[in-house]
Amino acid sequence: MATGTGAPALRVRGLTKNYGDLKAVRGIDFDVAPGEIFALIGPNGAGKTTTLRMVATILRPTSGEIVADGFDAVKEPARMRRIISYLPEEAGAYKNLRAINYLKFVADIFFDDRERAARAVEVGREVSGLGDRLHDKLGSYSKGMTRKLLLARTVMTEPKLAILDEPTSGLDVINALELRERIKKLAAGGMSVLLSSHNMLEIEFLSDRVSMIADGVIHATGTPAELKGRYDAENLEQVFARVVADRKAVTA
Amino acid sequence: MRRFLVMLKKELAELLTLQILLPFVVVIVMFVALGQTISSLGADDAGASPLAVADRDGGPYAQVVVAALGQTGFEPVMVEGDVTEESVRGLLDEADANILIEIPEGFSDSLAAGTPQQLPSWTRVSNFSFIGNNDISSFGGAMAVVNSTVAASIAAEAAPGVPAVVLQQPVSPAEHVIIGENSAETPVMAVMSFVSQQTTFIPVVLFVVIIFASQMIAVAIATEKENKTLETLLSYPVSRASIVTSKMVAAGLVALLSAGAYMIGMQQYMSGIETGLAGDSAGSRAAAATEAAMQQLGLTLSPADYAMLGLTLFAGILVALSISIILGAFAENVKSVQALLTPLMVLMLIPYFLTLFLDLSVLPDAVRIAVMAIPFTYPFITGPNLFLGNYGVVWWGIGYQLVWFAVFVTIAARVFSSDRILTMKLSLGKKRR
Repeated sequence: MATGTGAPALRVRGLTKNYGDLKAVRGIDFDVAPGEIFALIGPNGAGKTTTLRMVATILRPTSGEIVADGFDAVKEPARMRRIISYLPEEAGAYKNLRAINYLKFVADIFFDDRERAARAVEVGREVSGLGDRLHDKLGSYSKGMTRKLLLARTVMTEPKLAILDEPTSGLDVINALELRERIKKLAAGGMSVLLSSHNMLEIEFLSDRVSMIADGVIHATGTPAELKGRYDAENLEQVFARVVADRKAVTA
Repeated sequence: MRRFLVMLKKELAELLTLQILLPFVVVIVMFVALGQTISSLGADDAGASPLAVADRDGGPYAQVVVAALGQTGFEPVMVEGDVTEESVRGLLDEADANILIEIPEGFSDSLAAGTPQQLPSWTRVSNFSFIGNNDISSFGGAMAVVNSTVAASIAAEAAPGVPAVVLQQPVSPAEHVIIGENSAETPVMAVMSFVSQQTTFIPVVLFVVIIFASQMIAVAIATEKENKTLETLLSYPVSRASIVTSKMVAAGLVALLSAGAYMIGMQQYMSGIETGLAGDSAGSRAAAATEAAMQQLGLTLSPADYAMLGLTLFAGILVALSISIILGAFAENVKSVQALLTPLMVLMLIPYFLTLFLDLSVLPDAVRIAVMAIPFTYPFITGPNLFLGNYGVVWWGIGYQLVWFAVFVTIAARVFSSDRILTMKLSLGKKRR
């Protein structure tokens, strides 16, 4: 597990996002250290996906700061996109492309150098574990295969920061287990991960640190062990239930 | 630039699928087959058709009539018996003909006595197409030949020494046409029909291509949304301008490919029809004479003219693409694209129909200005303007379209650079809150 010494891979300060009158994210702060797996957990509509999309530079923050490896998401989105990689919750793939050509397309987008691009494709091929099926068109892929390929696509460029929204969403138990192992291994190799999930067991297994988010506000942050100790809980699900109950008590 | 090319390659790989390519092949094959069928029909009909003649007279002028009919591409087949409403079908069947002419009793004597005569004819119509009814269209010409031959014969008896043609047609027109600086001796109607033939099918192709390009790009954007690939695409290190332009160029290229398919198909079809209609060598001689006159009048397009036509079409496609990419960004899924493109279709249909049937200069000023404000009007009026040498209008049209393109492409790039590309959508059919 990374300890987060030195400059963070990602620094978020005072981040807010309004959609008209709706305040989706209300001034949140967090850091992700190099090689750390950091998770945002919270109910539907808590602001997890909006936060991840802002970090992925595809939504513009209303206010606040996002800096990844020294690049500012608002001022230098193009440069920041070179060192991040984003896997949306509901991601699809180009049905008319063969999987291997999809990986080549993404590698060519990320790297000018042909050899570097070829290396990325090799990583993608290996991480996906799809073997010969990589030569099939994506239209013929099952949901699990597509998700594996997309995770491979996300990490093959060896980003400084991988942003994973519900990475195992829709996968069966075996596929989900494999994918979690893969993410852990990649983080051990130095890649920082910002992820969101509903699945508390998954979070507990994967994450170095966790932030509990509800109504666009972060209510508690810490390692799973710290949080369980602080809220006298057996698991993160109980922590989460207590955080939400505390919040209701405060706002009531 | 390299990333743009990578994007373009991916867009083309997405667009050039069997479902898209198959219709092109079908269009070409269909038009070529149609053209060949029609042309072979024309060739079949070029032989002499039987024409039933019931000669109740038997006099000298009746013989002149029968001989004249034989000169007109018909083969007179003599039939016996009375011609009545009941018997005529049997007589036509007997001669294997669709037309029967009855030369009435006393025909020759009455003509000799100076009384004009009627020549009753019966024509069996079984369909209403141009090519299938060659007999009917030739019959009018045949009767004119019969008339002038009989007239010549009467003239030879009544006024020996006077050339028959002076009595038949003492005055004949020698028409000259002036277009701009050029003039030529040719019938005005021939010029009109030549130009309309040349300019009718350009708008059809234009219309198809522009609509096709618009649909392609709007569908490309909507597909990115529907397949949930847009969000990922926007997080790649590739400029928004490259995303927008690569999609536009890919759709434009595929649209031009379709234009090529339609052009080749239509050209084969039209040449099939021309062969079918011309049929004999007299027809093709007349066509060659008309073409020579058109060249003299400057009514043929030079390579430079074609380049300008291409440029106008390209500008029109660019405008359509830049509008469609914005409309596509509004679409929630591929299904809603069609409805969103309706305003664009209307903008194209107005100049299409207007220019097909009339000259815009005859419209009231207010309407004309409104129509000329539509950028898609210019591709439709470029053909006639090039024929007339109005290059100023053509250049203005190209410039005007490029201004529209610049405006819309700027809006499109802004939409793609903002949150709106992910957040804006029109849910057609649902009530908005």
